Amino acid sequence: MTDPTDFEKRTQEVLEESVGRLDGRTRSRLTQARHAALSQLEQPARHWWRSYVPAGAAAAAAVLAVFMWSGPTTQSPTANPVEDIELLADSDAPDFVDDGEDLEFYEWAAGEVES
Amino acid sequence: MTAFVTLAGVYSTADFRVERTPDQDLMTASRALDQFLSSVEKRAFKIAQLALRNDDDALDAVQDAMMKLVQAYAARPAEEWRPLFYRILANRIRDMQRRRTVRGRIMAWLPSRDDDDEEFDPIAEAPSHDAGPAKRLELDEAIGALEIAVAALPPRQQQAFLLRNFEGLDVNETASAMGCSEGSVKTHYFRALENLRAKLGEVF
Repeated sequence: MTDPTDFEKRTQEVLEESVGRLDGRTRSRLTQARHAALSQLEQPARHWWRSYVPAGAAAAAAVLAVFMWSGPTTQSPTANPVEDIELLADSDAPDFVDDGEDLEFYEWAAGEVES
Repeated sequence: MTAFVTLAGVYSTADFRVERTPDQDLMTASRALDQFLSSVEKRAFKIAQLALRNDDDALDAVQDAMMKLVQAYAARPAEEWRPLFYRILANRIRDMQRRRTVRGRIMAWLPSRDDDDEEFDPIAEAPSHDAGPAKRLELDEAIGALEIAVAALPPRQQQAFLLRNFEGLDVNETASAMGCSEGSVKTHYFRALENLRAKLGEVF
């Protein structure tokens, strides 16, 4: 029987020889596989949350669509607080409560219009 | 450490240590990984081929192992790559063997397909380099006998034998690659040698 060490050496040599006999196609495919694996290093790191961006955008669009689909709310024309605030905030609007002099003028003007 | 004076003040050489840019680090890592993978790819393919007995499956297994190593372990120290790579490869081979077993059970219920219509590709089948006819014949016989004997080993013995004897991993690295204790590696390797010696004693 072959000495264990010699046997191990012999099996190693034979296996190395079989590797040396790999055909060109296999070698080429191994090289391609290596390059494909290494190309991962060149790709920029992707943040986990980026994969959720399209889904998030779609959900937001759906919520907006539902909100708009529900139609105009039933609101009386006089009860629009936004317009009232705009009127009061407008610097060009007449100042009704500034002083008594102007108020007297508006009362006189109203009387003239009625007569 | 050297100190020197400029208009702006006194500096030591430590203040001017060259900083590596991310691009330089990437290039270094890529080169080191390329070197490592090219050093193991052919033996890895042979190991996968002996375990799976199919060239395409073996190539897939090696490619998957390469991808996984680069993806998950590129930042690990280079001395850890070899056992990690073979561990990934071993897992991949085991998955493929299991899947093949399941597929085999399913296919057993279906009519058999004739596989003899595969075209012979002379370029693919051509050996990569020449040797003398007598030497070549002897090696052909030895390779054929060894490959049959190794392929017939139980999976753990086969793994231990190929990683220790063929890939040259030490007991510790083999244990890490196989996910078992060093004692188990020694047992599997010893039994593999016994089995192979019993089968190949006359040829070798």
